Amino acid sequence: MIEIRNLTKIYKLNKKQMKESKTTNPIKTAVDDLSLRAVPGEIYGLLGPNGAGKTTTLRCISTIIRPTRGEIYVAGHEVQKEPEQVRERIGFLTGDIKLDPQFSVDYMFDFFGRLHHVPQEKLQARKEELFEYFEIRDFAHKKIKELSTGMGQKAAIAVCLVHDPDIVIFDEPTNGLDVVTARGVTDYLKKLRNEGKLVIISTHIMSEAEKICDRIGVIIDGQKVAEGRLGEILQETGTEDLEDAFFELYRGRKGEAL
Amino acid sequence: MISGIKQICGKELARVFKDGKMIFSVFFLPVVIMIVVMSLVSNMSKKAEQDVEEHVSVIFVEHAPADFEGFLKQAEVSCEIRPVEDKEILKEQIRNGEADLWIEFPENFTESVKNYQKGDEIVQVKTYYNPSEEYSRAAFNMISSGALEMYRQALLAERVEDMQQLTVFTVNSDNPDMIIQDDQKAGGKMLGTMLPYFVTILLFAGAMGIGTDMVAGEKERGTMASLLVSPIKRSSIVLGKVSALMIISGVSSVVYVAAMVIFMPQMLGGASGEDLGVSLALSPQQIGMLAVLLVAIAFLYSAIIVLVSVFAKTVKEASSYVMPMYMLVLVLGIMTMFTTNTPKSWFYMIPIYNTSITLQGILTQEVTFAQYGMTLGVTLALGAVLVGVIAKAFESEKTMAI
Repeated sequence: MIEIRNLTKIYKLNKKQMKESKTTNPIKTAVDDLSLRAVPGEIYGLLGPNGAGKTTTLRCISTIIRPTRGEIYVAGHEVQKEPEQVRERIGFLTGDIKLDPQFSVDYMFDFFGRLHHVPQEKLQARKEELFEYFEIRDFAHKKIKELSTGMGQKAAIAVCLVHDPDIVIFDEPTNGLDVVTARGVTDYLKKLRNEGKLVIISTHIMSEAEKICDRIGVIIDGQKVAEGRLGEILQETGTEDLEDAFFELYRGRKGEAL
Repeated sequence: MISGIKQICGKELARVFKDGKMIFSVFFLPVVIMIVVMSLVSNMSKKAEQDVEEHVSVIFVEHAPADFEGFLKQAEVSCEIRPVEDKEILKEQIRNGEADLWIEFPENFTESVKNYQKGDEIVQVKTYYNPSEEYSRAAFNMISSGALEMYRQALLAERVEDMQQLTVFTVNSDNPDMIIQDDQKAGGKMLGTMLPYFVTILLFAGAMGIGTDMVAGEKERGTMASLLVSPIKRSSIVLGKVSALMIISGVSSVVYVAAMVIFMPQMLGGASGEDLGVSLALSPQQIGMLAVLLVAIAFLYSAIIVLVSVFAKTVKEASSYVMPMYMLVLVLGIMTMFTTNTPKSWFYMIPIYNTSITLQGILTQEVTFAQYGMTLGVTLALGAVLVGVIAKAFESEKTMAI
C-alpha cells in the first residue's frame, strides 16, 4: 500500500532556472499538500498536464528526492526514515532513468538482481519469464548502447522488475514507445495488477488513463483536484469522457485561481 | 552493506577490465607513450653528444709556437688548426658557429717563456669561444682547460728541474677507496628521488579519467538514478566506486612502475640500472611499508577525484575541476625531488606532501615509525572524511541533479 499524507515539495530555483520558467519567485511549489492512498490490486493513475507535480510525487515515493513536508508510507515504511526498506519493495521506472550503455542487458539484469539480493535460482527464473514476455532474448547479449529506443525501454522495464516488487511505480510508462510496445507494457501492468500488486503510474494521455487505471487522481498545480474511478469522476463533473472531465476540472481550478 | 559495496565495485571493474579498448587506453597506451617518448629523448640527446664528440674542432691560432701543433697531435686532440687572417671575420665566424675556438698567443711567446727572468711580466694566452654553440663549448673545454694546461706543464718541466718540489702534495692520486657509502642507501637515494614523484603522479593520473567517468559520467548519462533507487545505502555506492577506483589506479601504477623498471635501460639510452647506481634490493619490511602506504595514497586520491566529480554535472566539467588537484599533486611531488633538507616533523602532517616525503624516507631508510604512522594516519583520516562528504553529497538532490 502507498499512503501519502500532506506531501509538499518545494524547490528553490536558481537564477538560470528562474529565467527558464520566466518567474522572479525563487520558490517553486511542485507538490502542494497532496494526500492519496493506493492499495494492492489496483492501477492508480496520476493524471495531469506537464509540470503538475506528477513526476515529483512519484520521485518522492521512490526516495530519490525528499519531501519538504508530509509523510509517505510505502508498505508501512516511511520514505525518509527507512529509504532502503522502501527501495527494496518498489520497482521504479522513468524515461530519465537509463541503464549503463556499456553493459549488456544480461549483465544489467544480473547486476540489479544481486543488488536486490535475489537468489541465483530465482534470478534465472525471473530472467526467463521477463525476457520471454518482453521478447528480449534475441538482444540480451547486446550492449545497451546498441539497442533501439524501444528495445532499450523494454530492457529497462525488465531490469526494474527483476526483484518481483510488490509495488511498481511507472513515470509515463508508454512515453516514446511505438504502439505495439506500448500495448505490451500496459498489458503487463494489468497482469501485475491481476497478480495482486500495486501499480502507480503518471500520465498525461487521457486514453491511457481511461483504459488501464482503476482509479485516477487528477493533479493540477501540485494539488489533487479529483480522485476516484473513471465513472465517479465523470459523474462528479457531469461529463461524457475523461478529456471533457479533465478540462472541466482544469477550468474550475484556473478560474478559481483567477 | 558489504555485499552492496562489492556489487558496485565489481560493476565498475567490469566496465574497465571487460573492455579491451579501455584496458588498452588506461594501462597500455600511457606506458607505450612514456617509453617511446623517453627513449626518443635519450637517444636523441645521446646522438647529439656523440656528434659533438666526433666533431673535429676548427681552431684558429694566432702566433702559434712552433711546437704547439705537434703537441696537440701528440696529446691526441682532434682538431684542425688554421692561422688567423682577419680578426673581425673570425669573431663573426665564432659568433655564427663556423669557427669553434680562437687561441691568441702573444708575439714572441716562445722567447718570452724561455728568457723569463724573475720579476718579468707573465705572458698571457687568450682564448675566445661561443658558449651557446655546442661544438665551440666542447672545444673550449677540451683545449682551454685541457690541452693548454698540459702544454703549460710541459713548458714548466723544461724550466724547472725538479717538478716534485712544485707539486707539494696530491689529492687522491692513488686512493681507490675514497667513496665510503652504504650501497643500499645510495641506491635508495637515486630511486627515492624519482619513485615517489612518479608513483604519486601515476596513481593520480591513472585514476583521473576513470574516476570522473564513474560519477560525473554516470550522472551525465542518467544511469546514476537507477543505482539510487536500488535498495543499497548511498554510502555503499560511494565506497564501491572509491574502492573500484583504488584498484584501477593501483593496478595502473603497478603496471607503470614495472614498465619503468623494465624499460629503464632503453629509456636512458642503453645504460643499465647498475651503471646508474640504482639497486632495487628492498627489504621485506620496506616493501610492506611501501605497499600499505601506496594503498592509503590510492584511497585518498580516489576519494579526491570522486569528490570533485560528484559536484560536476558532466565529465567535461569534472575533468576541469580535477586539473588543479592534479597540478597540486605534481608540484608537491616535484618539491620532494629537489629538497635535500631533512624534513621537519610537522611536514608529516601535511596531506599528500607527507606521502611523498615518507615514500622517499622508506627508500632511503630515513623515516621513523612515528613519522610513517603519522603519514598513514593523516592520509587515511582525510580519505575517510572525504568519503563521508561524498556520501553526504550523494544524499543531496541538488548535487545529484535529479
